[in-house]
Amino acid sequence: MAVLQQLIFALVLGATYGLIAVGLTMVYGILKILHVAHAGIYTLGAYLALYVLSHLTDNLWAALAMAMFATGLAGVLIYRGIYYYTLRRSRIVPLIVSIGLFTAMNELFRLVAGPYQHSFPAKFGLPTLITPYFVVTSKQLLILILTAAFLVLLYLILNKTKVGLAWQACSQDLEMAGAMGVNVDWAVALNFFLGSALAGAAGVLMALYRNMVYPTMGHVVAYKAFVVVVLGGFGSVRGCILAGLLLAVVETFLGSLEWFEFPRDAIAFLVLILVLMFRPKGLFGRL
Amino acid sequence: MALLIFALGTLGAAEEVIKIGLFVPLTGFAAADGHSALAGAQIAVDLINAAGGINGQMVELVYYDDAARADQASAIARKLIEQDQVVIGISGSYSTPTRAAAAIFQQAGVPMISAYAIHPSIIETGHLIFRVGMGAPVEGIAGGHLAVEKLGAQRIAILTMDNDFGVSLSEYFKETVLALGAEIVFEKRYSLGESEFREVLSSMWLQNPDLIWATAYCAGAANIVSQARELGITATILGQEGYDSPKFIELAGEAAEGVIIVTDLNRDSDRPVVQQFLQEFQARAGIPADMVGASAYDAVKVAAYALAQAGTDPEGIAAAINAIRHMEDVVTGPFYTFLGREAIRPVEVQIVRDGAFHFFHTYTDPEIIIPPGL
Repeated sequence: MAVLQQLIFALVLGATYGLIAVGLTMVYGILKILHVAHAGIYTLGAYLALYVLSHLTDNLWAALAMAMFATGLAGVLIYRGIYYYTLRRSRIVPLIVSIGLFTAMNELFRLVAGPYQHSFPAKFGLPTLITPYFVVTSKQLLILILTAAFLVLLYLILNKTKVGLAWQACSQDLEMAGAMGVNVDWAVALNFFLGSALAGAAGVLMALYRNMVYPTMGHVVAYKAFVVVVLGGFGSVRGCILAGLLLAVVETFLGSLEWFEFPRDAIAFLVLILVLMFRPKGLFGRL
Repeated sequence: MALLIFALGTLGAAEEVIKIGLFVPLTGFAAADGHSALAGAQIAVDLINAAGGINGQMVELVYYDDAARADQASAIARKLIEQDQVVIGISGSYSTPTRAAAAIFQQAGVPMISAYAIHPSIIETGHLIFRVGMGAPVEGIAGGHLAVEKLGAQRIAILTMDNDFGVSLSEYFKETVLALGAEIVFEKRYSLGESEFREVLSSMWLQNPDLIWATAYCAGAANIVSQARELGITATILGQEGYDSPKFIELAGEAAEGVIIVTDLNRDSDRPVVQQFLQEFQARAGIPADMVGASAYDAVKVAAYALAQAGTDPEGIAAAINAIRHMEDVVTGPFYTFLGREAIRPVEVQIVRDGAFHFFHTYTDPEIIIPPGL
C-alpha cells in the first residue's frame, strides 16, 4: 500500500520532469545546443498563468492555454532573436548565451514580480481519487491526465505529421534537410514553440502542485532537466520521458527512507556520474 | 569666506549623523524576511529621528543586500565598517551569513547586534556581538516543553532542515523531549530548498507520531504543512520562528490552521509598543508584521539606547547593552536583562486561527527562557 502511494508521488514528479526535459531534448536533437534558458521558460509559464488567474479570469484552462501559447512564442523569439545568430559559431557560444539569458530572465522575474513566493490560486473540477491502496489528489490527477494528453499529442506530431518528419530529417543533418527542401527555419521555430509551450505547461502545473511561484523556481529544474536529457540519451524523446520517470522513482524511493539524508537534488547527479561512467550514450540512447 | 563657512557647515552636519549599518537578504530565497527586517529597522530609525535623534544627532540607516549568503555578508560587513564607518552593525539576516559577518565586526572592534539569527555560535564570536532575538537553545528547549507538557505529545517525529538554523533548533528540541520522557519515532534531515516532502511525510506517518516538529523557513514550512494535510496527516505540527511570516499562511492556505509555532512576537499583546508597531508595519509594508521585522526594530532600539548611553565608543556601547534591565520599549520584549550578550525575554507561542497568528501561550519561567549554562 505504502509502496503504491510512493509510486503515485513518483509518477507525478516524473511526469513534470519529462514535460520539461522533452523540449530540451528536442532542441538538442536538432540544433545540438544546450538550452539552459529553457528553465526560464518554465518559470515564465508559471508567472504568466498567475498573471492571467489574478487579473483576467479565474479559469485555469484559459490560463494554462494562454501561458502555453505565450511561452511557445517566447521560445521562438529566443531562437530567432538570439540563438539563430550563434549557430555557426563554436557550441560554447550558444551555451554561454543561454546561461546569460537564463540569469537575465530570473532577474527580470524578480524585478517585475518581486523576490517573494506568490501563492497560485486555481480552481478546477477534478475529484480526489481515493482507493484502498492509494490516494490521488485532484492536483495530482490533473498533472497525470494533462501530461499524458500532451505526450500523446507530441507522439502524434512527431510520428504522423510532416513537421515531425521534418524534425527527424533536421536532427539527422540540418544542412542536408535544408537542401532536400525542408524549410529549416520554420521547422526549428516550431520545434522551439512546442518544446517551450510544454515547459510553460510544466511550470504552470508545478506552480499549482506546490501553490508557489517565485523567481528562482527554475534553478533546480535547469540542471535536473539536463540530467534527464543525458540519461534519456541526447535527443531521444521517448528516452527522456522514461529517464524522467526513472529519476523520479529513484528520488522518491530513496527520499522515503528515514536514514537516507543525501539531498534529493544530488541524487540526479550521482545517477548522472554513474551513467556517464558506464553508459555514456545515456540509458536509453541509440548512438 | 561665505563658501568656506558653508563648506564647514555641511561638514559639521555630515559628522553629526550617526550611522547604523544593516545587512539584510533582499534577494534570493530569504527575500521576504529581508524586506520585513528592513521595514522593521526603518520604522525604528524614523521613530528615533522623529523624537529628536540620539542626543540631538540624527540616525542614518546604511543597508546592503546579502542574499542570505555568507560570502556576501562578510564583504558587506567590511564595507559597512571601512567605507561607511558605521558605529554599530545590525544583522537582519539568517544564521549562516550572520556568523560570517559577526567575525568581521568583532575583529574590527565594532559592536554588532543580531536581530533574529539564532545559531548559538554567533554571540560566541566575541564580547562585541549581541543578540536580541531568541537563540536556538531557548527556542528548541521551549519547543520541547511545549510539545510534551502542554500538548501532551508522546510519539514525536522530527524533520530537520540541514543548515545552521534547522540543526541547532532540532538538537535542543530533541534533547528536551527525550529528557521529558517522550519518544522520537522518526527523524530525518532534508536539504534547504527541498519542496517535495510527500514521500518523507508518508513514511513518517506510518510510525504514527502524535506531533511533528519540522524546522523550516516559510516556503518550506508551507510545503511541509500543506503536503502533510493533503496526505491526511492529523498530527499536531509544531514550528518555530521560520514559520512566523504572513507568507507562510498565504502559501499554506487552509492547511496552516492549527499549526503552532514558538516565536518572539505576540501579536495579541496589549502592550502599546506592540500594537503601535503592528499598525505602523502594516501601513508601511502592506502586509501584517512578522517576528523578523519586530526583531530588527528591537535591534535598532537596543542600539540606539546604547548609543544614547555611551556615545560611539565600542566598549562603552557593549557595557551599556550588558547593563540593560527591564527594557519595556521593545516589541518582542520586555527584555528582562542581558545575560551572556543575549536578551532574556519571554518566549511566545502562537497558533494559526482563521488565517492569522494568535496567542497560544507565553513562557516566562527562568529555566526555559535563560539559555543553558548561564
